[in-house]
Amino acid sequence: MPETHWIVHRSVDRYKTVTLVTALLTLLVAFLAGLPSIWPHGFKWLHPISVDTDPENMLSKEEAVRVFHDKMKKILSLHDMVVLGVVNEEDKDGVFNPDSLKKIYELTEFAKTLTGKTIGAGEGEGVVEVDLIAPSTVDSIEPGAPGVVKFEWLMSSPPRTAQEAEEIRRKAQRIPFLNGTLVSEDGKAIAIYLPLTRKSLSYQVSSRLQEKIATFKGPEKYYITGLPVAEDTFGVEMFIQMAISAPLAMVVIFLLMLAFFRKIIVIIPPLVVAMISVIFTMGSLIIAGFPIHIMSSMIPIFIMPIAVLDSIHIISEFFELYQETKDSRSTILKVMDALFVPMLYTSLTSAAGFASLALTPIPPVQIFGIFVAIGIMVAWALTVTFIPAFVMFIPPKRLETFGARRKAASDEIDTGRMGRILHALGEATYRQAKPIIALTLVILVIAGYGISKIRINDNPTKWFEKSHPIRVADRVLNEHFGGTYMAYLALSAEKKAFDGKAFAADFAREAKKKGEALKEELASAPAVFSELARFAAKEGDAARSRGDFFKGLDQWVKQRSEKAQGEESFAWDEAGLFVDEQKQLNQIFKDPRVLRYQEKLQEVMQQTGIVGKSNSLGDIVKTVHRDLVSGHDPVQQAKNFRIPDNRRMVAECLMQFQNGHRPGDLWHFVTPDYRISSIWVQLRSGDNKDMAKVVDAVDRYMAAHPPPVPLRHQWFGLTYINVIWQDKMVSGMLQAFLGSFLVVFLLMTILFRSALWGFLSMIPLTVTIAMIYGAVGLIGKDYDMPVAVLSSLTLGLAVDFAIHFLARGRKMYAEIGNWKDTSPAVFGEPARAITRNIIVIAAGFLPLLLAPLVPYQTVGILLATILLVSGVSTLLLLPALIRMLEGRLFVTGERTGITCNPVTCIVSAVALVALVAVNLHQYAEVAWTRLTWMSLVAVPILSLICWISSRRNKCKPLPTQQEEDHV
Amino acid sequence: MCNISGKALPVLSVMFAGLLVFGGVVPAHAGNLSVDEIVNHTNRVSYYQGTDGRAQVSMTIVDKQGRERDRKLTILRLDLPKPGAAPDEAKSDEYCGEQQFYVYFHRPADVNKMAFLVHKHLDRDDDRWLYLPALDLVKRIAATDKRTSFVGSDFFYEDISGRHLDEDVHELMKTTENYYVLKNTPKDPKSVEFSYYTMWIHRKTFVVVKSEYFDKQGKKYREYTAKDVKTIQGYPTVVKATMADLRTGGHTDVEYTGVAYNLGLPASIFSERFLRRPPYKYLK
Repeated sequence: MPETHWIVHRSVDRYKTVTLVTALLTLLVAFLAGLPSIWPHGFKWLHPISVDTDPENMLSKEEAVRVFHDKMKKILSLHDMVVLGVVNEEDKDGVFNPDSLKKIYELTEFAKTLTGKTIGAGEGEGVVEVDLIAPSTVDSIEPGAPGVVKFEWLMSSPPRTAQEAEEIRRKAQRIPFLNGTLVSEDGKAIAIYLPLTRKSLSYQVSSRLQEKIATFKGPEKYYITGLPVAEDTFGVEMFIQMAISAPLAMVVIFLLMLAFFRKIIVIIPPLVVAMISVIFTMGSLIIAGFPIHIMSSMIPIFIMPIAVLDSIHIISEFFELYQETKDSRSTILKVMDALFVPMLYTSLTSAAGFASLALTPIPPVQIFGIFVAIGIMVAWALTVTFIPAFVMFIPPKRLETFGARRKAASDEIDTGRMGRILHALGEATYRQAKPIIALTLVILVIAGYGISKIRINDNPTKWFEKSHPIRVADRVLNEHFGGTYMAYLALSAEKKAFDGKAFAADFAREAKKKGEALKEELASAPAVFSELARFAAKEGDAARSRGDFFKGLDQWVKQRSEKAQGEESFAWDEAGLFVDEQKQLNQIFKDPRVLRYQEKLQEVMQQTGIVGKSNSLGDIVKTVHRDLVSGHDPVQQAKNFRIPDNRRMVAECLMQFQNGHRPGDLWHFVTPDYRISSIWVQLRSGDNKDMAKVVDAVDRYMAAHPPPVPLRHQWFGLTYINVIWQDKMVSGMLQAFLGSFLVVFLLMTILFRSALWGFLSMIPLTVTIAMIYGAVGLIGKDYDMPVAVLSSLTLGLAVDFAIHFLARGRKMYAEIGNWKDTSPAVFGEPARAITRNIIVIAAGFLPLLLAPLVPYQTVGILLATILLVSGVSTLLLLPALIRMLEGRLFVTGERTGITCNPVTCIVSAVALVALVAVNLHQYAEVAWTRLTWMSLVAVPILSLICWISSRRNKCKPLPTQQEEDHV
Repeated sequence: MCNISGKALPVLSVMFAGLLVFGGVVPAHAGNLSVDEIVNHTNRVSYYQGTDGRAQVSMTIVDKQGRERDRKLTILRLDLPKPGAAPDEAKSDEYCGEQQFYVYFHRPADVNKMAFLVHKHLDRDDDRWLYLPALDLVKRIAATDKRTSFVGSDFFYEDISGRHLDEDVHELMKTTENYYVLKNTPKDPKSVEFSYYTMWIHRKTFVVVKSEYFDKQGKKYREYTAKDVKTIQGYPTVVKATMADLRTGGHTDVEYTGVAYNLGLPASIFSERFLRRPPYKYLK
């Protein structure tokens, strides 16, 4: 009787207790997870689980870019927007006909009502009416009769005639802010922008709009888009997805296992294991209070195939051995004996691969990784307890026809076509070892080239399939308008420390100058201004800030002014004015030079070809200036569409703008202190790579052409945030990958007690990853979120096959003594189990292809490919390598202790140091240079310890030890 | 009886409120006044006290985030029916007629000397002019409606010059111990952004102490409150008031100082010509 682990023994002996405990624990977890959700609302148990589909949350809330984004949104009163496009391709006047405009008017009025209860939100939440951009909610300014300037609503009510409609088009298109934003340049489309108090309301808002649109007839087409809608819609579809894909994966796995083992009774335990693992994992996720995110919604789909992995090995083996003894108990114990260690290690490595995702700086990815790791270990625990226990329940009668029967004629097991193919494959790897290795090297070179071609890019809109309404809307609206992807470039005055003395001295000098200049008009001015200068010097000593300084001055002048009489009182008025003028000097965004610089930046962005349109404070000033200064003459109008010459002129234009219906629009572009201004950038593409190009163009321009006053530039907006988290993701994933690679390598070295075997087991997965990412680079698929996450995952899964292959191979070699004869044995049952696993899991992920959401499809295709490739490379490459390295791999008489082999020990030590360094870098934010020094110290010390320990007595060869184990 | 002319929002104009404390027409049958009478008295008190007037206006525009912007201006007002009429003659509702306003900006410094001129008409749209000193420009402003912001504040132009009485249907909602509460519903709902507004009118002085505006969903979104009333030259005058925009979360505080009535302002200064040559004598 083989020495099986006590856990397995216990489970077999007390199979009823094990089953009961498993069932109770599962119910408990499900109950705990469901309870808080169920209780308050009766049994609407899906609702209270919190969901998070916000890509912003890919970054932690404390992340600098998000803090800045939130701050700017607040100080510039900006909101995330839903964009509703109305297109009329049939009418010769496009949407500018009375009928279409009437519908647009009605939609706008309807949109105003989408607040509070009507959209299931709280009081005051929903569409922000004052910032709604629609033809009936914006102003038109234009020159009227000579000497007259006209201000009015662009469309106060729907037009009655074609002429009136045309008039609205003309007015809208002559306003740069509206042309390409509200109305398309071809006149075929109008876009209504609905700002929302919070973007999670966008699905509700767009659903209500769609209901309203459904009541309209006519040739108009309606498109709803905007990042918030995409994100929110994704969340809703994600759930539908989870409800379909996960069960479907289950069904597929079930059917495949049925095809392999043909007995429902033996397929049930793996399915139960998979189901319980999912319940445990998702239950604990919910209990722990984490929201279900795009990432965590994929947990069940990941756990299920991995959970059945080990069970398939067990059943496979059981299938082969049962008929030998027809005794469930001894068969399962024998099976578990052969599989216990490989299963433990495959589970540990898979879990380590996922857990390494905790090294990424992206919270949802961290949670995903940790919980999948938990799920894998739960599945392992169930596999070694529940599965043996379950087997004991099966009445021997039902297993009579189960398993591989021996052919009467020979002692060969009838293994079918799969067996014959694998057998041939085994022989090939023995004879063709060199060509296989050479081919692998060639593939690696090509893969390397492919990896160098990888394009890092993501775009939440592209998470939907091409035919999805959101993608269609995205395409159509970006054809007609300047772009529906918003990013903002904030420019802010550089903050300087306030030096009261110096500041007051400058002020005093200017004051005296001004006093002299006013002498002609006001004889008392020089005296009054000298007094002001003296007071300023005193105030400068006391004031702690610029604001304080002017406040003090202002009050003092006011008092003096009130007491003054006659001509002197006019001089004091001038002094008061002077103080206010000086105070306004730091309002840099009234400075024409600064506004022109902003204009320049807009040109630079436009030249990238990615930005369709941008709006700035300067555009407002230019428009008002044009319409104030010029009459109807187009030449004059073109000439006057410019930033005026001085601050006062700019100030007058801005004051005129504030006389309109929407003075608040100004404060979306500049803060009331005129120290921070932002340019609205409309991109035609939400691809991160495109956003990055625009960012780069601005950086380069600003580096080459310094602004007229010191300015800080910083981007914000959803399109930009995506770029940042992507950068984090790529560097984070690389570290996570490195971390898990080292962990897996260490585990392998410990498992095999040899660094060489450790390396060997890493080879198939390394080749797999190189090939997959090489292929991603070669076919031009964007390296996006799902692709990035899969790298760590691949590691954990791909090593499984190698573990089974090598562990079983080594065991068999120990019995047989040479690889030539071991190879066919390994290509027997172990290879068949591996192959079954490859097929079951690869196929198990395929239902993801039916998903309407692209990230799920990507995961499905890639996982299937990864498993296939790593399976094939395990079965081809490992035997070929073993053939070549046979002499080195199978050293007889070696002691098993890891510390006894100095090479293995030192390599492990280096890996360990590297692992610690990666973690320190990620979590403790220790810089690489410091880590390098620390490592340079640690490695020699550990090496020395290794060398000493390998010379211990215990390490003296005891040649027969290993063989004894397996007799 | 003022055939038209604004009653509404005694905003800037409230400061010109003259009053009946001294016995005018109103107290005679106070208690059972008709709606029309209340409306007309209120209109006169809000916009027609004295025969002319002046005030220094200090405006503080405060946004939702508490950020402040200041405006300082002087407003001159001249009543046209009987320019230079004796103050006593200006105490009947019949006195209300056309008016002219001159608005001169002191602050912010970069719009110092900017000026507006308004000729308020009863039978047609008002005439408005604008002078921009730096751009060296006098422009007539053609605006289709008067419900646009007054220099970026929460007050509208209409709040300054007054809303025509016959644009609304007036109902007396209730009479409390101190107030008449009027509900005013626009005859042409499309021309304005509100569906109706209410006014709380002090029964003795006819000063509007509160106005509330309701949107098409019946939700209050705008609110005017008189915060301090002083009697100046015998006229109860609002010297502090606030207009709050409940949608943006901002509000504008106004304070009137140097209020004076019956100054004998010459009609000539309320002309385009004087926009470029401010009448400093009367502005201080």
